[in-house]
Amino acid sequence: MKITAIIAISFVLLACGNREDAGRVTADEPRPRDARVNNVEALSGSWLPPGAGAGDWAMPSRDYAGTRYSPLTEITTANAGQMQLAWTFQDGQSSYGHEMTPLVADSTMYIVSPFPDRAFALDLTKPGAPLKWSYSPNPSPIAIGKACCDAVLRGAALYKKKLIYNLLDDHTVAVDAKTGKELWRTKLGNVEDGATMTMAPLVVDGRVYVGNSGGEMGVAGWFAALDVNSGKELWRAYSVGPDSLARIGADFHPFYSWMRGKDLGATTWPTNAWKRGAGAPWGWVTYDPDRHSIYYGTSNTGPWNEAQRPGLNLWTSGVFARRASDGMAQWAFVFTPHNEWDYDGVNENILADLPINGVVRKVMVQFNRNGFAYTIDRATGEVLQAKPFGHENWASGIDSVTGMPHVIPAKETVPPGRWVRDICPADVGVKDFEPSAYSPRTRLFYVTTQNICMDYKGREASYIAGTPYWGAQMTRHVGPGGNYGEFIAFDAATGRKVWGIPEPFMTYSGAMVTAGDVAFYGTVDGWFRAVNARTGEILWSRKLGSGIISAPMSYIAPDGHQYVAIATGVGGGAMTTSSQKGFPPRGDTYYVFTLGANIPSTPARGGATPPASSATGAMP
Amino acid sequence: MIDSCCRIIMRRNSVAFLISACVALAATACSGDSQLDRGAGAGSATLPAQDAHPSGPDSSGLPAEGALSRVPIGDLAGANDNTLETTVKSPYAGNAAAIAEGHELFEKMNCAACHGYGMKGGMGPDLTDSYWRYGGAPADIYKSIFEGRPQGMPSWGRALTPTLIWKIVAYIETKGGAVSAVAADRERQGDESESDTTAGSTMKGRNSAP
Repeated sequence: MKITAIIAISFVLLACGNREDAGRVTADEPRPRDARVNNVEALSGSWLPPGAGAGDWAMPSRDYAGTRYSPLTEITTANAGQMQLAWTFQDGQSSYGHEMTPLVADSTMYIVSPFPDRAFALDLTKPGAPLKWSYSPNPSPIAIGKACCDAVLRGAALYKKKLIYNLLDDHTVAVDAKTGKELWRTKLGNVEDGATMTMAPLVVDGRVYVGNSGGEMGVAGWFAALDVNSGKELWRAYSVGPDSLARIGADFHPFYSWMRGKDLGATTWPTNAWKRGAGAPWGWVTYDPDRHSIYYGTSNTGPWNEAQRPGLNLWTSGVFARRASDGMAQWAFVFTPHNEWDYDGVNENILADLPINGVVRKVMVQFNRNGFAYTIDRATGEVLQAKPFGHENWASGIDSVTGMPHVIPAKETVPPGRWVRDICPADVGVKDFEPSAYSPRTRLFYVTTQNICMDYKGREASYIAGTPYWGAQMTRHVGPGGNYGEFIAFDAATGRKVWGIPEPFMTYSGAMVTAGDVAFYGTVDGWFRAVNARTGEILWSRKLGSGIISAPMSYIAPDGHQYVAIATGVGGGAMTTSSQKGFPPRGDTYYVFTLGANIPSTPARGGATPPASSATGAMP
Repeated sequence: MIDSCCRIIMRRNSVAFLISACVALAATACSGDSQLDRGAGAGSATLPAQDAHPSGPDSSGLPAEGALSRVPIGDLAGANDNTLETTVKSPYAGNAAAIAEGHELFEKMNCAACHGYGMKGGMGPDLTDSYWRYGGAPADIYKSIFEGRPQGMPSWGRALTPTLIWKIVAYIETKGGAVSAVAADRERQGDESESDTTAGSTMKGRNSAP
């Protein structure tokens, strides 16, 4: 409450004409922390991890609604072009894909690397942000070869002075954020059987929510809650199997009738096929503190070869709403029943209040792999809006009565063993895991999209533990227009694209948008861009050392100024286009930018007064 | 014959699929094949007598396990005239029937799912180029399949007989990535072939989709 009051006062000051001066701050004007914040529209209080200030970024999406919206206002559409490099960091450990988001709290930046899943704490109070500590969990290298799509890690969560994240070899760890000492480590699966863990946990009310990966390895997907103090597993909910395993009980009320019934997670499959049916929750988790509900998606159906699993294959390729406390399901929705194309349902479910047909509804919005943007009533699971947000040709639309896709027969992959040409999108989807952003100021969603199609042939898959249970052969090609990527602004209330920036390479980074109405994204060929969130005008671009598949974030440093951080290091699903001419090498560098005026013209040396002779060198 | 073959396979993986796989394998691999000794997988007591430099395939047509056990993964310190592995020949190289069986196994045992149906890589490395982390001579490939490798390659030495593994090796050789024992020896000592443009990349081949 106190923080809110300070922020409100700050906003009044900013509103009285100070905002335009944001770029011209000099070192002799000390700025209180959180001075440049517009928190009027931003979520606060119980929508943020406990203790997180307006200038912090304590979880990958910043808030529990998953908006990736920063209330900071120093960087604006007017001055974003003046951003300069402040400092860089290399994790030096891993050239696998960097899909994480840096975190900031307590004047410290926290970074977790891809395999070998190391953690780093950087001291933001000192010039150049030197290393405070590093932590090496030493996961098993077996995990590298069990991860379908690169030995990636999507980030960590900060919660009450703990840094919590998953290791590729199926462990969750908690590390003392101050010292880097391991507090607990919990084993959740058997990596030798093909399961891995790559997602970023969400932590609410003392519970750590995690899920497995392995949709191509014949796993049964599960989602678990751990005690944040002990690491002890509290409950586990499977995405497949009978209701007892799926934690479906009397309080389960799916909106659509075809999802109602007993043990549908087992009976919509051939006998026992659900045990290898995937539905791994390897994406993002969001939380509604008013409803005390969590929302997360389930992966593709296993194996890809649909002939081996006739049926609707619930609850894969869908989304669950569960009670946060005990994990009991409240509703579910399956985007792509009997999924034949690897269209996972794991993408972020961003919670927002949107005016739909003149009435403000509490919704979740998911930009699904299958190319449709779903706006869903998050209390009931009713689909309010489902429109394409990029190029797709496998379905003519989503049925307004059943919520099911109208599949175009020519794009069915049944029977297997023959090539089906030009299915759009390809397996990587119109959008993959890379998280979108939502601005309550513009009421628009900012989404990196893919324009890739595939030729596909179903193949018989054999289940052998620890090897792929896949069952598909495919080639991919660029879609209409020849641009592999496009960054778009989308109105999820009306299902309409507002503007788009086509990119020659994939856009596979996460997005961020700020109260300065600046949206940020990166490209697979390494361009990091700031754009006007209302018009799509590119305000600023920098070419970084490798491709960008991580998500940007913004924070206020101890000097009182706004900074923007991004990791580079191409990999993951972006490697589907690695044969494209000009595709960059891998990397492992983190870049931090701020307005050029905020960067001292004379580099300080550990806080000491620099010698006069070095005073002439200007920073770039 | 069918029984013994399938028992070996099912010992490790008592999964429904493998029953059908066993039937398939029995039809191809087990018929008329009396060479089912387990080599190192069944314990050292069954190893054949070892020569210092075995002269080639043993009496059953396969290289002696003892010879294979001395094919190194890394360099041989101080060995400026190492000919050890050149004496281990691929018993089915160029044998069309064996290669066809190897091809079938490559897909049935999910090798293709990791390395690609065209062996161009995916979760696992490309097998058609000339860069091999653990050696590209037939004996090296055999050992990588038999023993498994640290970054996720399963060990198949208990699920597949030596005969079947050698047939997979013969199929891999047809894709042009396998190198001669002499070339493998040279690479091991740091003198890599001129055509190799991917040396040093332990990341290559990770290009599959989520």
